[in-house]
Amino acid sequence: MRNDDIALWDLSEVSDAIATRRISSVEATEACLARIEAWQPRVNAFLRLYKDKALAQAKAMDTELAAGKRRGPLHGVPMAHKDMYYRKGELSTGGSEIRRNWIAPVTATVLEKLDAAGVVELGFLNMAEFAAGPTGHNEHHGHCRNPWDHSRVTGGSSSGSGASVAARLVYGALGSDTGGSIRLPAAACGVVGMKATYGRVSRAGAVARSWSLDHVGPLTRTVRDNARMLAAIAGHDSNDSTTSEKPVPDYEAELGNGIAGLKVGLALPNDGPVPLDAGIGKAVQAAADTLGRLGAKVAAVTLPDFTALYRAAEVMVKCEAAAMHRPWMEKTPELYANQVRTRMEAGFFIPATQYIDALRLRAHFVKEFLSTSMEGLDAVVLPAIPFPLPTIEETDTENKGGPAVLKMVAGFTGLTRPFNTLGVPALSLPCGFDANGAPIGLQLVGRPFDEALLYRIGHAYQGATDFHTRVPA
Amino acid sequence: MDEKTRTAAGIAASLQGITYDDKRLAELAAEVEVLNDAVRKAAAARLTFDDEPAAFASLMEREARK
Repeated sequence: MRNDDIALWDLSEVSDAIATRRISSVEATEACLARIEAWQPRVNAFLRLYKDKALAQAKAMDTELAAGKRRGPLHGVPMAHKDMYYRKGELSTGGSEIRRNWIAPVTATVLEKLDAAGVVELGFLNMAEFAAGPTGHNEHHGHCRNPWDHSRVTGGSSSGSGASVAARLVYGALGSDTGGSIRLPAAACGVVGMKATYGRVSRAGAVARSWSLDHVGPLTRTVRDNARMLAAIAGHDSNDSTTSEKPVPDYEAELGNGIAGLKVGLALPNDGPVPLDAGIGKAVQAAADTLGRLGAKVAAVTLPDFTALYRAAEVMVKCEAAAMHRPWMEKTPELYANQVRTRMEAGFFIPATQYIDALRLRAHFVKEFLSTSMEGLDAVVLPAIPFPLPTIEETDTENKGGPAVLKMVAGFTGLTRPFNTLGVPALSLPCGFDANGAPIGLQLVGRPFDEALLYRIGHAYQGATDFHTRVPA
Repeated sequence: MDEKTRTAAGIAASLQGITYDDKRLAELAAEVEVLNDAVRKAAAARLTFDDEPAAFASLMEREARK
């Protein structure tokens, strides 16, 4: 073990140590609670902390283990989740004012799976209001702050998930991703985030942003941790008809296979809503060079027309969000932050034919992507966020606004949202730090259901770099 | 108020039962125009009578590595 503070260990180290009874789940939980006490005032990652309940749960996990029962590789591991996963009979705010006192009528499938796996639940985490916003601002519950620099954004909408994992408050956290909301906070906070293939993880019992584009997934400190957590939550769910019946692979089993001979495309797109920053491009190029030294065959690749993919996603999100939010938008519009409400309003004006065409286009977009950009390749690497991380103030659309601010905020999802339209898996992992000392995220994109291969590449990369081992002070 | 804004005003008032001021209607009309144009162009180049939304899910299953 590399550190006396258990909170600083990775999920895999902690779960293995609990399994062999070198440490107890109670000790791991207490270590997280101590760290949360020190960091919560600085980052505002938690919306609710269940200290006593978590300790009781940890004690129960230790008792089970002492009796010879180990539920699986997450037995006794403390986590917390974006406050949009329902637990029956308990508060679930969705980061909103509207649901500040709302009690969930069901438990989300992913929470049931983590319960069954023996995960200890520390509480629920900050997020953008109704998962709408790429920065981590929240007008109702307070902005989440980046552990690396408290003046800077965490990325969103899974802001608390990114911040809490980066600050070593939890070993893993659930996020959700409609346009980048797992990958952006992972990139901005220097952790690992997986948006698995659409249909790989159940959305049942989670606050929807867009039924067609929402992806549930894990944020962790390492790729191995992420693989372990995804394995626990993936799979078919009769409560979510969009989930796949494909068997869930043993993601960890393939991690050590290396990447010699794999073909990786490098994309440094400069035609998004904002140009690619030279420093970010350099960090991603360096990451690609590292993959090359590890034996991958790396070549430049051209991505499809992101504008069409981006606009189609916007049509889906706006129409679906406007439909589900309509009753509140009519009766209590003042309870939304302006930027959250106004982003949905266009959905009332988009013709149904355009919405349906956006849905019909997805299969064509996927075919084109696989037969052009991905042709002959195993994965594509590109940046997650195209510019150095801005401050909370610089991206305050609610109180500051203006075209430049709006353009910067829109630019966050320029390189992530198209992969929600495509539904293909995309992994974000740290690949450096910008001139301000804030993390830079590398995005790995693969073919449908190729999460295991992305993990394999990411794990090899983390074996050759140390960005994921650095801890914010 | 230009024609697109008038159209948006008509949709808001007559079809959706929602009220917006003229400035906001103009903004929304401009936003929707960009989105509609993008989807319409993409659709014109790709879609046929037999395309349906569910093709996406089946394609994802089919394109998974064997």
